Amino acid sequence: MNRVVTYIYDDTFIDLISLIAKLIINKARPYSIQSKKNYVATLFSEYKEYEFDPKIAKKLLNRLSHKTKKAIINMYLSNNNNKEIVIYYFIKNSLKYEDDIFQMRNLKCVHEGLKISKNVTRETHKFKGFTRFKLLNNNVLYAEILPTNNIIFLLSKHFKVRLRNEKWVIKDVKRNIYCMYEKGKIYYVNDDLEVNKLEFDENENQIEKLWKNFFNTISIKERENKKHQMSLMPKKYWKYIIEMEDVNEKSDK
Amino acid sequence: MDVQEKLQILSDSAKYDASCSSSGSKRASKKGLGNASISGICHSYSNDGRCISLLKILLTNACIYNCEYCINRRSNNIKRATFTPEEICYITVNFYKRNYIEGLFLSSAVIKNPDYTMDLIINTVSLLRNKYNFNGYIHAKAIPGASSSSIKKLGQLVDRLSANIELPSEASIKLLAPSKNEKSVTKIMQQIKENKNKNFVPAGQSTQMIIGATNDSDYDIINKSSQLYQNYSLKRVFYSAYIPINQSSLLPTLTIPPLKREHRLYQADWLMRFYGFKAKDLLEKDDNFNLLLDPKITWALKNLNEFPKEINKVNYYELLKIPGIGPTSAKRIIKCRKKFKITFLDLKKMGVVLKRAKYFITCDNQYYFKRDNFNKNFIEKKLILEERPKYEQMRLFE
Repeated sequence: MNRVVTYIYDDTFIDLISLIAKLIINKARPYSIQSKKNYVATLFSEYKEYEFDPKIAKKLLNRLSHKTKKAIINMYLSNNNNKEIVIYYFIKNSLKYEDDIFQMRNLKCVHEGLKISKNVTRETHKFKGFTRFKLLNNNVLYAEILPTNNIIFLLSKHFKVRLRNEKWVIKDVKRNIYCMYEKGKIYYVNDDLEVNKLEFDENENQIEKLWKNFFNTISIKERENKKHQMSLMPKKYWKYIIEMEDVNEKSDK
Repeated sequence: MDVQEKLQILSDSAKYDASCSSSGSKRASKKGLGNASISGICHSYSNDGRCISLLKILLTNACIYNCEYCINRRSNNIKRATFTPEEICYITVNFYKRNYIEGLFLSSAVIKNPDYTMDLIINTVSLLRNKYNFNGYIHAKAIPGASSSSIKKLGQLVDRLSANIELPSEASIKLLAPSKNEKSVTKIMQQIKENKNKNFVPAGQSTQMIIGATNDSDYDIINKSSQLYQNYSLKRVFYSAYIPINQSSLLPTLTIPPLKREHRLYQADWLMRFYGFKAKDLLEKDDNFNLLLDPKITWALKNLNEFPKEINKVNYYELLKIPGIGPTSAKRIIKCRKKFKITFLDLKKMGVVLKRAKYFITCDNQYYFKRDNFNKNFIEKKLILEERPKYEQMRLFE
């Protein structure tokens, strides 16, 4: 009988790559791969860990093309539960087929993997639009976001160019990651910061009112179609999209 | 009048312009604030489900013209307002910093005369670009009748220019907008086309037509569009379902805007730009589109002798003619079939809309249904049944 073995890694990307490299070397067939944080022991299954080895992780990464690396990083940032095992098979196959793998959509790991990766790029793109900054009284732009996938690293690249002369902070509320930008440099902080109560710029209220006002007048009453609106701007994002705040509160009551 | 009230009046007057795209330009961020994103970014969606990416406002709504369909016509008794350039810059920069918008869409009613109006627009945009170092996307209106020197000036400052043709035939323009004429609009389009380069209107020009205000048929409309695309290399033609704002004996008394018709025209527009269809392939003279089935299916049913097409053999352009297959999935099919033989199951994984495509294709000589089902009656009936839930989603009859 095949043994059902779940392999555990330590929650970082490089750790996952190190594990996958060892699995490939040992010709092990994982049943599933889980991060330590998410792993729940079940009856009838056993789990295994390997020691982290940065050398073989790097060696494996060097064998992958830029395009493949980009794809697996996107997959890694996804919220999908099976992403690790998909990444494992994706890497294994791309060692064999190289960049042809992107045309092998009949392989499950390829169409699943590219779907996961696309989902992450799509959400990143959406948040290029849906992120809302508020101006604090110390001239810092501050935004809170609640994305499904862990997109803050991809998103920050966009704002690094767009708002290059501003100071800004984006906080992923669910994951407690702060991304801070000043003078061309991005800093990530992964801890609970002791944030003082936020004080907003004196004009912040007026600008928000202008925006909400504009948002309401620009809609054409005769064409109202809230279902369509919701499918393009899903409700799960409304909490931090300020023009939807009022709608959100009303529907909560 | 405070900024709050002005914004209310001047965005209310601007909302009937359908264009909202912010794509096609990659203006770099340089020293100042912002940049343009080549793919365009939608920042919000209003209650009518249309995307908001640009701050869509008029500079003024005090118009000298009296066009029948327009909310801002001279004889309408509405509140009039005019923004100062500084006010527009203030709102744009502050919205942009907070990531509410992708840029500015500045249009205007014609005040005094076309050249005077253009000067006002140029002043505003130039202030925004030069004093505030704003590098975000700007779409401005080119006012028909303006001099070529002012078009040249404005074109160097903005990402997109547009001049609205509004109606597909000269006769309709005479009827509803007697102070405009088609020539003055096409003259502007010609000038923009001649000057276009990477520093002049990098995102190209667009125009708009109103749908359902006159008796023009869908054929007239798409035929006009295809001429415009050809003659003036337009980036986009927008279609805007007519919404009765003014009461006039010249205008139809619609109660519901013809949204489904507008949707069909957009589909046809896409077919002409990305799928290699011609206007005369899609419709006979004076015909309208079938509201039950989309233009591509209608075309395929009419030309059923060209089908079923074999997925593993036919070339790219043939693939594009199959309902349910678009440029992306067609390219994928071409690449993938070099590596393996494609089956119906694989097609779904490639993003093909199988529920439409399955009637028109064979995979390795297999048809999805029994072979004798390949006839017009069977396919049409099935497809109309499949389209139905979508019809409800559009909420046309509620």
